[in-house]
Amino acid sequence: MWTAMPDRPEPPGMDRTSEFALSVDDLTVAYQEKPAIWDIDLEVPEGVLMGIVGPNGAGKSTLIKAVLNLIPRAAGTVSFYGKPYERARSLVGYVPQRGSVDWDFPTSVIDVVTMGLYGKLGWFRRPGKRERELALFALEQVGLVDFVDRQISQLSGGQQQRSFLARALVQDAQIYFMDEPFAAVDAVTENAIVDILQALNKRGKTVLVVHHDLQTVAQYFDWVTLLNVEVIATGPTAAVFTPENLRKTYGGQVASLNGGILAGAAGG
Amino acid sequence: MPGARLSAADKRVWLIIAGIVLLGALFIPLSLVLFDLRFTYTVRVVALGGAILGLLSGVLGSFAVLRQESLLGDALSHAALPGVAVAFLLAGRELSSLLVGAGIASWLGLRFLSALLHTTRIKQDTAMGIVLAAWFAAGIALLAYIQSIPDASQAGLDHFIFGQAAAIIERDVTLVSAVGLLVLLLVALFWKEFKLVTFDSEFAGANGFRIGFINAVLSTLIVVTIVLGLQLAGVILMVGMLIAPGIAARQWTHKLDQMVILAAVFGAFAGGVGAVISALDSDIPTGPMIIVVSFVLVLLSITLAPGRGLVWSRLRQRANRRRFAAINTLRDLYRYALAHGAEDYPVPDDFIRGVRARSVESGLRQLRGAGQVMALGEGWRLTEEGIAWAREDRRNQRLWDLYRLYNDELGLPVIQEDRRLDIGAVLPAAAVEQLENRLEPSETA
Amino acid sequence: MMPLERWLIELLLNFVTREELNAFLRSPQNTAMLVGCLIAVSGALLGVFLLLRGMSLTSDAISHTVLLGIVVAFLLMTEVFGLHGDTSSPWLILGASLAGVGTVLLTEMLYRSGLVKQDAALGLAFPLLFAIAVILVSRYVEDAHLDEDAVLVGEIGLAWANTNSHCFANCESVTVAPDHEAAKFARQCNNCRELGISPRDERAVFSETCSNCGEYNPAQAWSAGLLEREPVLVFFPKSITVMLLLTLLTLGFVLVFFKELKLSTFDTGLAQALGFRPGALHYALMILVSLVAVGAFDAVGSILVIAFFIIPPAAAYLLTDRLAMMLLLSPLIGGVGAYYGYDLARGQLFSFIAVADGIAVLNRLFGLSLPEEWDSSISASMVLMIFILFLLAWALSPRYGLASTLIRRANRRRVFENQVVLAHIHNHQHTTAHDIELNVDHLHEHFRWTERKMSRVLTGLRALGYIRIIAGSAELTDRGDRQVHAFRKTMLEAHNIPDLP
Repeated sequence: MWTAMPDRPEPPGMDRTSEFALSVDDLTVAYQEKPAIWDIDLEVPEGVLMGIVGPNGAGKSTLIKAVLNLIPRAAGTVSFYGKPYERARSLVGYVPQRGSVDWDFPTSVIDVVTMGLYGKLGWFRRPGKRERELALFALEQVGLVDFVDRQISQLSGGQQQRSFLARALVQDAQIYFMDEPFAAVDAVTENAIVDILQALNKRGKTVLVVHHDLQTVAQYFDWVTLLNVEVIATGPTAAVFTPENLRKTYGGQVASLNGGILAGAAGG
Repeated sequence: MPGARLSAADKRVWLIIAGIVLLGALFIPLSLVLFDLRFTYTVRVVALGGAILGLLSGVLGSFAVLRQESLLGDALSHAALPGVAVAFLLAGRELSSLLVGAGIASWLGLRFLSALLHTTRIKQDTAMGIVLAAWFAAGIALLAYIQSIPDASQAGLDHFIFGQAAAIIERDVTLVSAVGLLVLLLVALFWKEFKLVTFDSEFAGANGFRIGFINAVLSTLIVVTIVLGLQLAGVILMVGMLIAPGIAARQWTHKLDQMVILAAVFGAFAGGVGAVISALDSDIPTGPMIIVVSFVLVLLSITLAPGRGLVWSRLRQRANRRRFAAINTLRDLYRYALAHGAEDYPVPDDFIRGVRARSVESGLRQLRGAGQVMALGEGWRLTEEGIAWAREDRRNQRLWDLYRLYNDELGLPVIQEDRRLDIGAVLPAAAVEQLENRLEPSETA
Repeated sequence: MMPLERWLIELLLNFVTREELNAFLRSPQNTAMLVGCLIAVSGALLGVFLLLRGMSLTSDAISHTVLLGIVVAFLLMTEVFGLHGDTSSPWLILGASLAGVGTVLLTEMLYRSGLVKQDAALGLAFPLLFAIAVILVSRYVEDAHLDEDAVLVGEIGLAWANTNSHCFANCESVTVAPDHEAAKFARQCNNCRELGISPRDERAVFSETCSNCGEYNPAQAWSAGLLEREPVLVFFPKSITVMLLLTLLTLGFVLVFFKELKLSTFDTGLAQALGFRPGALHYALMILVSLVAVGAFDAVGSILVIAFFIIPPAAAYLLTDRLAMMLLLSPLIGGVGAYYGYDLARGQLFSFIAVADGIAVLNRLFGLSLPEEWDSSISASMVLMIFILFLLAWALSPRYGLASTLIRRANRRRVFENQVVLAHIHNHQHTTAHDIELNVDHLHEHFRWTERKMSRVLTGLRALGYIRIIAGSAELTDRGDRQVHAFRKTMLEAHNIPDLP
């Protein structure tokens, strides 16, 4: 379904080094007096599909939220393609955790997807026919076209996650941030979501995904950032997703898992 | 030792209880002098009634507070009003029948609430708002209807809105005491069960307790308490009388039995004193006065209670912050410097201020005082001394890291991880040595 | 406010005569209904967003806190600045609203500090603020418009009487000075109190003061008999102006910011990421709720007002799955409830059932002797009427109503029973044991159902043409066979597409 995309860009691998899609410099966020993330330096090349991995409380979601200015930063600067967030808004797409909204909200699937276009519309302007078509197109891509006018609470968890993805797709951003898109979805949906992410990636988009399942990291992502308050390591999966780095990130408890995960890493 | 500390806390709670009882007992003779109050029969009845109702509210309110049902209490007490009116229409102004009516209306409100929650997607807060507003409106409409009835002796019904202590007579006190005693007996009987469902409903269910039944008994007792208190505090403010003693008591203790007794004493104090003050001046309805007295108790408890109290925790926090401001700032400086290549690399002022906006001033001041850091134009640089301390601290942190990585493997004793402590102070020397062996050569210097 | 009223009156005078307008506004019923509907419409619009944001009880919070704001502002006005106390003065409304919003912010901070649980913080703070307000009212305020009754239920029935007068012709203002021919004088003892003597004492010194001197606007001048020609006047109730203004403000806010409100209510994070300002919208919403709560205080008091915020949106929430529709239905329900609420207070339910008849029936059934004349509180009756509409919505809503839920559950149970029996027949009809398993007289034993239930299900299935009974054994027809397979297929896909709730 992806071959039909109207704006297929040049093949990946070209011209990646010229500029970073995201650079984070000395980023620190503190809740009360306790740093949630500490002095993060991160440079994400354009066109990677990156997993952000770390234990509970490592600050994965905090990192995304601070990068997108959703929570106050204590220190540090963030730029997207060399521009600060305020000027790069249209380049950035965001998929929050599914549990962060009330799915009983009285609205339809297509309406939720259209919300992705509100940023382009700006204040006061209402979505019209063009916006509806774009939303329908995105729903087709995630396979929800039969559910267009459904009330959103009548979707299954996986379908809700897909509607969120469709909402990010209509934003037509260059860089996507996704907060735990695989949380509480079944295997079929997880595969469908991965297909969408990888297809996005093939079109040259940069995708950052908060992820917690170590088993699938190597299979899904070509780039990994290991995070535990500080950045433990970041880079291509093959180079970064190593037993030492995992130990440093997770402490001793991960030792027993090592065999399985690294077997997965070798396979990917 | 924890045992010794707990018993000190216990002693303190009993001391407070004794103090409040004494203060309450002194209040009446004191007020004779202070307010030129005559210790009439009426005042005695009112004081006694207020104290008994306050005691009862304290006991049951403790459970409402712990179950986080304060707002439910608010809705249920508003919901009692139509019951009072209907009971008056059907059976005249006999207090017992008015209270039965109030109880039934309140209980119907509760049933309606749970029916709404079970059959629709309306959430709890909205559902409570609906019950509160609709039942209260029904009560007001019925009261207005009753007022329009010529020569009905409706006088006194509106006392149920704001409460009026002066209207309490001896027979009312007898009724309230009898029902109250029954309620307290039931609480004593179901003590263990109430404790269990309040703290861990699921666990109670898994252990074969009939949660539904116990919850129903507890809710019923709370409704009965609300209803008994209406005459004194009124439907609008009853929730304050119900929960304030519990909130105040919660600040002083972590034990349910102590909390309930303390709440009972607080409640009796607020009820008695509030009722007497309002009986002095017919302009002041009793409900508001009791709420104000209760709130004073809550305020004192929140600020003064040892451990949890605002004053103490502020003081403790400040001392802690001061102590850790220095070490945290030092760490930040050192890590930044290392990340940029050299231990004495200067750190820009805006970075260090950004990382720890609030404590950095105190931290830098302390470090400068100790000669561990020096100002450098727009930034800061560690001195020899500072670097030595930072290295030592880093080694300690590394040892903690290693402890986290290898405690299983090395079979080290299990301790609470607190990285602000020197690991040597909490781990035996042999264990520290095992960890040190794991340090990389560059780190052992 | 005055120029606005004047402009509105001039607009209205294009359609009706002055006499008709005055007659309309002087009717307590018309004004009460109009004010009630305006409160209901503005409250119901804002309430939709409160409900969807899980902030329904914030209206409770605000109504408690603005009461204290109103009382303090009123006392400031009367005691400190020596002004005439008027709870519909725009300054009082503004001041009290700000106080309300401020206090709500303070309580938010209190429970964010983590010392007290949220419900306990609210459960304690609101009675306290309310208690202080009531003590202030009962001790210090001596004014007919601000007493405990007004706090509870307001005075919507008297809203028509508190008016601004507007003069359109023969407008003469009169200044009565001591030299005016209509000036009246009163003799007053200057030193009686000082010396503690009676006016008859010979030491008493008297002076004459003018008792009716001052400015008279045309309406006052006419009623004081100072004018010869009757001025052309329109008396406009202040409550209508205030609530009309607030309703237009609310309506404008919701219409202009519809898209932004929707997004920031549904997904605050995305709203912020896209550069909208959910925080600012949140505060704007709170300020509007405070303004409406204060504006409505005169009419419906400070407790019943929460009903106008909470109940209509809840009813609309049961009727629709679209936000725009909810924003249409909620004020409609509120408005209709307020309109018929007036009739209910006067003894008419939906203008065709008389409450008196109901009371008569009760009297006869239970041998009571309640007076049949029903005359009750207007504001409380409006709330009751809105609640009755809520009950109707709950009972009859096509999707979320009780009736349809029960019917749907029964249907689903029937379909399920049918499918279970069909599947059982399907599994056993070609096995050797089929004469035992499928014997119609014993079939119910396999399911542990009653014989009656099984025979009902079998009769139903035969009527549908899914099974036939041959020699006492049940057997699937082709149609039944297809049905079993179709059901299997949907079962397999069902985990993707849950049934309607």
